[in-house]
Amino acid sequence: MRVDIKGFTKPLVESLVAIVIGILVGAIILAFSGYSPAEAYIALFNGALGSKYGLAMTLSSATPIILTALTFGIGARTGLFNIGGEGTVYFGAIMAIILTNLWGNVLMGLFGGILAGMAWMAIPAILKVLRGVNEVVSTIMLNWMAYFIALYIVLQKIPNPEDPNKTLAVPVSARFPIIMKGTELSWAFAISVIAALITYYILWHTELGYELRVSGYNERAARYGGINPKKAIIWSFLLGGIMSGLAGATEVMGRPPSYAISQGMANIYGYGFDGIGVSLVGRNHPLGIIFSGIFFGMLRAGATSMQIEAGVPLEMVKVVQGVIVVTIAIPGLLDLLKKVVRR
Amino acid sequence: MEEVPIIEMKGIVKIYPDGTKALKGVDFSVKKGEIHGLLGENGAGKTTLMKILSGMLHPTEGKIFVNGKEVRFKSPADALANGIGMVHQHFTLVDVFDGLHNIILGMEGHGLFSKIDVEKAKEKLQKLMDELNFQVPLDVPVEKLPVGVQQRIEILKTLYRDVDVLILDEPTAVLTPIEVKELFEVLRKLKSQGKTIIFISHKLREVMEITDRVTVLRKGELIGTVNTRETTPKELAKMMVGREVVLKIEKPPKEAGKPVLEVKDLWVKGDRGEDAVKGLTFEVRAGEIFGIAGVEGNGQTELIEAISGLRKVEKGKVILNGKDITGRPPRELYDLGMAHIPEDRIHMGLVIEMSVAENSILGLHWRKAFRGPLGLIRWDKVKEHAAKLVRDFEVSVPSIEAPAKSLSGGNQQKLIVAREVSKEPEFIIASQPTRGVDVASTEYIRNYLIKLRNENKAVLLVSADLDEVLQLSDRMAIIYEGKFVGIVKPEEVTEEQIGLMMGGIKNES
Repeated sequence: MRVDIKGFTKPLVESLVAIVIGILVGAIILAFSGYSPAEAYIALFNGALGSKYGLAMTLSSATPIILTALTFGIGARTGLFNIGGEGTVYFGAIMAIILTNLWGNVLMGLFGGILAGMAWMAIPAILKVLRGVNEVVSTIMLNWMAYFIALYIVLQKIPNPEDPNKTLAVPVSARFPIIMKGTELSWAFAISVIAALITYYILWHTELGYELRVSGYNERAARYGGINPKKAIIWSFLLGGIMSGLAGATEVMGRPPSYAISQGMANIYGYGFDGIGVSLVGRNHPLGIIFSGIFFGMLRAGATSMQIEAGVPLEMVKVVQGVIVVTIAIPGLLDLLKKVVRR
Repeated sequence: MEEVPIIEMKGIVKIYPDGTKALKGVDFSVKKGEIHGLLGENGAGKTTLMKILSGMLHPTEGKIFVNGKEVRFKSPADALANGIGMVHQHFTLVDVFDGLHNIILGMEGHGLFSKIDVEKAKEKLQKLMDELNFQVPLDVPVEKLPVGVQQRIEILKTLYRDVDVLILDEPTAVLTPIEVKELFEVLRKLKSQGKTIIFISHKLREVMEITDRVTVLRKGELIGTVNTRETTPKELAKMMVGREVVLKIEKPPKEAGKPVLEVKDLWVKGDRGEDAVKGLTFEVRAGEIFGIAGVEGNGQTELIEAISGLRKVEKGKVILNGKDITGRPPRELYDLGMAHIPEDRIHMGLVIEMSVAENSILGLHWRKAFRGPLGLIRWDKVKEHAAKLVRDFEVSVPSIEAPAKSLSGGNQQKLIVAREVSKEPEFIIASQPTRGVDVASTEYIRNYLIKLRNENKAVLLVSADLDEVLQLSDRMAIIYEGKFVGIVKPEEVTEEQIGLMMGGIKNES
C-alpha cells in the first residue's frame, strides 16, 4: 500500500502539539473556575480508557462521528466545504427504521441509510452544479429543513405506539450485535472503520479518487487534465451522503437500549457538527479521522466520569472539550482556509 | 574622498519561513543619480533584495544604509519616508479607479471623513508630468488603459511620493518594443533630474542600453558589479548563469507535411465577455512549428484555451486531423492526439500539492496502462512511468513521491513537457514553454520542440518571448488584439518589423 510517511509526520506532530496545548488551556480554565485540573483529567482519562467499559463507551461514541467526519473530509479533499452531514444523519436514521421494519435485516437498514444519504446530498450537489449555489449556504439551510422535516416524520409518521417518547424501534433481527455485554459497543463500530478504509482506498487508489482529489486541489488543473469538475462535485456529495446516512442508520441499528429515535431527536442530534471537528483534527484524512474520531469518543465517554468523580458540571466539561477541539482543529482549519482563500 | 553611496546594503541574508535561502549575504551599493541594473535569472534573488530595500520584506540578517545612515524599514511607508519607492512587476492599481485616484490612494489626507483635495493633487501631478514630458489620462478607469500607460501611472504614483530612488521590477516584461523605447526616455529624463533608478531585469540588451552600472546576482549570491560601458553582453551572460551560454538551437530545414490542425474563422470571448479572438484562420502542419508572437493579452490565452477544449468557441471551427473537434472536451482531444503545455504551470499544468508521480499521469490517468480492475489505479505502473519521465527528461526531483511544488520552475516545466510528450501526440500546443525557466532547461525544452517537429509532429508555439518564436518557428503569426497582423517566415523579417507588428502596425513594405 502506498502510504507517504513523510507527508504524515508534520500533520501528526502538529495535531499532537495542538492536543497538548488544548489540554493545558482546558486546565487553566478549570483551575480558574475552582476545580482541580489534575483530578478532572484523571477522571476523564480513567473514565474513557481506564476500564473495559470506558473503552467500549469511547469506541461506541466514536462510531457515528467517524462517519460524519468522513462526509466533511471527503468534501474537503475535493474542494467542498460540505457541512450538510447533520441533516443527512436524520434521514439515514429514519430510512433505516422504515426499511428494517419492512424487511427485518441489517443489510436493508444499511441500504436505507445509504439511499437516504445519497438522495438528500444530491440536493446541494445539483444546486451547485446547475446553479452554482455555494455549498456552505445550501447545506446550512438544508440542515434546518432536514431538522423540521425529520421532526415531522418522527412525530407524525413513525411514532411508537407503545412508547410515546420515541419512534418505532429497529426490530431485533436488524440490530447490530453487541460486542461487549452491558455496554453500548456494537459491531456498528466496524462499519465506521471499514467505511473509513474504503474511503481511503477510493480517494487514493482509484481513478475516481484521483479525479476527485485533483478537482479539490485545483479546478483549473482538473479541467485541463480532462476531468469534469462537475462530475467530481456530484460524486463528492454522494459519497459524503452515504457516510452520514450510514451514521444515522448505524446509530439506530447499533445503540442500545432504544434502537429508535427519541422524540426530540436528541439521540441523533449534533453528530454532523461534531464530525466537522473530528475531520479537521484528523486532517480530513480517512485514516486520521479514525484516530481523531476515537479521541472525540474518548472526550464524550470521559465527560460522564469527569462530572461524577471530579464534580465538574457538564457545562464546564463541554467548555473544556470545546477548547481542546478548537485548538486541535486550528492547524487543519488553517490549511483549509488557505486553500479557500487562494481560490 | 569617495562620495557616500545613496544606498548601501551590507551582508543581506534572507531566509523565507519555508527554509528557502533567497539571499546569502549580498552587498549592494548604488550611487546617487545613476541607473543601476540588477541582473540575474529567475530566482536569483533580485526581487527579494529590492523588496527588502523597499520595506516590503525584512532581511534575516544584514544592514541597510541610506546616505550613509543606517535605517530599518518596518514597512514600505518607512522606505518611502526615506525616499525609496518601488514599482512592482505586477501592478498594484485599483482597476476601477481612474489614474488620479490610484495615484493619491493612501495619501488623500488624514481622518476618515476629511475631504480629498483633488485640485491640488491634480496640479502637482500635472507639474510632474510636464517635467517628465509624458502625459497620462488621469480621469479614465485604469482597466481601460493599455499596460504601458498603467505602468506610467505606477511610476507617477511612486514619484508623487517624492522618492529619490525609484526601483523598477522587470518593467519591460509586459511592454511592446515601442513602449520600451518610450519608457527608457522617461528613465533618462528622471536621471537628468537627479533621480536614482534601480532597474531589475534579466534582459541583457536592455541592461546594456539603459544602465550605468550593473550588479549581477546568481542563486542569492553577489557575483559582481561592473560598469556597463566596460562590459559586454557576453560577459554579463556568463556572470548571470555561471557558464558561457549561447543558446544553441539546431534546426535543420524541413518540408512541412499535411495540415494537422486547422482553425477556421475562430471567434472566442474573454473572461469579461469581450471578443478576445476575432476570426482567426490558420493551419499547423505536420513537421512544422507554427509560432504566435505578440504582447501578452492579445488573445493568445483565449485562442489556446479554445483549441484545447477549455473555453467555449463562439463561432468558427477547429479541425484536428480532418475531424471537427470544436467544443469537444479536453479528454477527448487528448485521446485524438493532442497534447498541451499550458502557459500557467502552477495553476493549470500541475497540481503542485500532489506528487511528481501523481502529476505524471494528469490527463492520461484513464489510459489502460495505469488501470487495474474496479477502477483502481496501478500505482506501480504510474511510478514506473514517472521514473521514466524523470530519467528521460533529466528532471531533477528529490523523489517521485515529492510534491511538485518542491521542484524548481525549470524542472516543473520539464516534467510537464515530459508528461505531454508521453501522450504520444501528433499535435502539441506549447504555450510560453520557457517562461520563468532557467537557461539550461530553456535550451533543453526548445531543442525538444525542434525534435518533435523533426519527428513530423505539428507544434503550435505561443510565446511572449520574441527571440523564442523567431528561433523556433518555421512560420510565425503576429497577434494583436485578437487578430493576426501578419503571417511571415522568421528569416524574412527584421526584428524591427516584427516589433512594429506587435504594436499593431502592419508593415506596408
